[in-house]
Amino acid sequence: MDFTHCSLGAGVRLHLCETDKFNTVTCKLFVQQNLASETAAATALIPAILKRGSQKFPSTRQIARELEYLHAASFSADVLKIGERQLLEFYFDMIDPTLLPDGDENWKRGLATFWDIAFHPVTQDGAFVSEYFDQEKLNLRREVEGLINDKRGYALARAVELMCSEEPYGVYRYGSVPAIEALENGAEYRYYQELLATRPMDIFLVGRNLDLIANEIARLEFPRNGTAQLEPPVLREAAEERWHIEELPAQQSVLVLGYRTNLRYMGPGYYGLVVMNGILGGFPHSKLFVNVRERASLAYYIGSFVDGTKGILMVNGGVSAAKVEDAVRIIKEQVEAVQQGDITEEELELTKIGLCSSIASMADDPGSIIDRNLVGLVNGEMRSFDDVLGAIRSVTAEDVQRAAKALKLDTIYVLRGSLEKE
Amino acid sequence: MEKLKTPTGEDLLTGYLPNGLHYGILPKRGFVKKYAVLATKYGSLDSKFEVPGEGIVEVPDGIAHFLEHKLFEEPEGNVFDRFAQLGASVNAFTSYTQTAYLFSTVDYLSEALAQLVDFVTHPYLTEENVEKEKGIIVQELRMYEDHPDRRLHRNLLNALYHENHIRLDIGGTPESVNRITVDWLMKCYRTFYQPTNMALFVVGDVSPEGVLDVVQEHFPNGAAQPVGERVYPEEPPHINQAWVEDRLSISRPRCAVGFKNVPTSDGEESLRRYLTMGIAWRLIAARSSPHFERLYNAGLIDDSFGASFSTTPYYSYSVVTSQTDDPERFVEEIKAIVREVQGGPVPEADVERLKRQLYGGFIASFDSLEYTANSYIAHYFNGTPYLRYLSILQSITAQEVQEAAVNYLDLENSAVSVLLPTEGEGHGQG
Repeated sequence: MDFTHCSLGAGVRLHLCETDKFNTVTCKLFVQQNLASETAAATALIPAILKRGSQKFPSTRQIARELEYLHAASFSADVLKIGERQLLEFYFDMIDPTLLPDGDENWKRGLATFWDIAFHPVTQDGAFVSEYFDQEKLNLRREVEGLINDKRGYALARAVELMCSEEPYGVYRYGSVPAIEALENGAEYRYYQELLATRPMDIFLVGRNLDLIANEIARLEFPRNGTAQLEPPVLREAAEERWHIEELPAQQSVLVLGYRTNLRYMGPGYYGLVVMNGILGGFPHSKLFVNVRERASLAYYIGSFVDGTKGILMVNGGVSAAKVEDAVRIIKEQVEAVQQGDITEEELELTKIGLCSSIASMADDPGSIIDRNLVGLVNGEMRSFDDVLGAIRSVTAEDVQRAAKALKLDTIYVLRGSLEKE
Repeated sequence: MEKLKTPTGEDLLTGYLPNGLHYGILPKRGFVKKYAVLATKYGSLDSKFEVPGEGIVEVPDGIAHFLEHKLFEEPEGNVFDRFAQLGASVNAFTSYTQTAYLFSTVDYLSEALAQLVDFVTHPYLTEENVEKEKGIIVQELRMYEDHPDRRLHRNLLNALYHENHIRLDIGGTPESVNRITVDWLMKCYRTFYQPTNMALFVVGDVSPEGVLDVVQEHFPNGAAQPVGERVYPEEPPHINQAWVEDRLSISRPRCAVGFKNVPTSDGEESLRRYLTMGIAWRLIAARSSPHFERLYNAGLIDDSFGASFSTTPYYSYSVVTSQTDDPERFVEEIKAIVREVQGGPVPEADVERLKRQLYGGFIASFDSLEYTANSYIAHYFNGTPYLRYLSILQSITAQEVQEAAVNYLDLENSAVSVLLPTEGEGHGQG
């Protein structure tokens, strides 16, 4: 379930995973950009506008009707944040042509539709249709303002924003409200053209008879004009431990602890970090889950995750406001335990088996087969299933302890719920 | 054992064990993961039922969900660790009508399946571990209270229903959870965790004989036992309240319009209703609908706009919902659109196109092991003929879609739930 790679020239690469496991053919196209406060909002607006209409299907309604006709073909577009990159993501899937009576027509028409939406937006006076631009700008602003509706997501985003206020990583993937407000249609259209013409572009395909589709893609036109160099991630040492407390009318508080490790995908010790995160907070058997939730009943959810490009680890949990300090104390104790090498043979094995199972299971889902390569994509080195599984299996308790020693607590963020009842 | 075919040509094996347990096994070549669900037809709605020797008993709300949490408790160690040792991840969920325990594994199907059957068939409840769980569940319920869509939906169900326990959160309330005892839990367990009331589904690159051997070895044997009668409250056909409002710390108002129907226990009728209403709602609320386009362009709705239809033998209703700055106008627009669809004629070409979409969607759904297993179980418990999905779909006409809109989108039986931002709260970024 790995990809074969080929170049279509001018910074465009095609990655193919031929398999007859699925009833669908899946295609994802990514365009990379630096994550920066100046451009994040402009990048984030592109998918929203493209969904509004292409030259052949100039409205969302016409696109939707075409996708329905194509036996539930689906198209979506969004932006992702991976390390200090922002990725434009275009997704398209369709039913495996061999399962449809009109399969041949279905895939050709589907691919042409996908291309039309991504590369040929409907325009007006050398810019996007102004009505679409204005509406999507408003919707994007509402999306960013609406982050508050999801307390956990909001708390995580705020914690990252405060922790990395002087690094690109602190920028939210959809940008900020003032940056969205400042967007202008003509400049936005030129920015879209520039991104698609110059930034690294990667096309992934998963499914059956991909040679046919790949040949068709190779015949399509790409509006390319050179390849821009992107910035590497910024590394920074942790400052003194900083507390930030904000209050919101909510029933429950959210606690986030941000650690810096500076261990990264391309450096030594990365898989030690991955396994260490699993032991600390990645599983129901992890130290945080067992000690904060099961033993102390302090939280309904508690866990941790790493951004392997940026080298940070975030712990987060839902707790009651009165128990925040108890929870912080227990979380620190768990981190110290791993740093002191308090790692049982069982914890290490369970975590490695758990990680390997979840990685191997990605081979059952076309989207995951592609997405598991994204960290490799932005870091310039995609790794095969076997290489990753082998690297995890070879991690030792000493590797885990070494990774834990790299943990430096930087920021503690509390979103305090003011409506809590005891 | 009966061998059936899925629409994509795969073998689906189904049958019953001597103790009455129903099973379905779908071997899928080339898949890495194996997924299994063991479920009981027992959910949050089942709070009043017959216990042999005691007559009809009524238990505190939220008990099915509480029991789900407690079955993970063991005298020694815990269930999560046992699955983790097999590289398997285990989970469970409770709905209005069922409780399901599930796992996925790569390498150790037999061992994990044995663990699943063992922990579900061996409850270990003590006063102490039941008390401890209350704190965790109350935290879980509070988390849901902050969730805007859950709150909006809960309030809508309260407006639509008078007595049906669908009004209540699946987890119950902090008060009802605090009243739960070991004794109540065990009464529920003995009544509903009988093989005749349960079903197992296993999917992945598996051998059906191997699966059955493990289950037969681990599931307590014995003759099939009947399950005590359940008593549901009498629900009047009309709604409870036409309009309800609530406030929460959110950025923008949300509105949901619900339509209540009389449920059917005829499985084929239920699936037909589900598919015709699926098409009717797409005509109104899908991105391909002119109504969606008009309301979106007018700024009245946004991407959160959507509709759904639920049908089981115990309840049947539709919901259409969106974030909107003007809930009153949103409701008026929805009602006008519903009247328009009811007035017909529904365009044949639209219905044919939507049938193509539902056809493709059903075929694609077999790519997801979890979705396939969970839908099989839900269809089995509700008595709907899952494998006749495509043939029923093909037979649906435009005329029938229009009739469904008339019958199941009864404006006289509709209610509105509105969620407004907390007064005086202005929220923005930073």
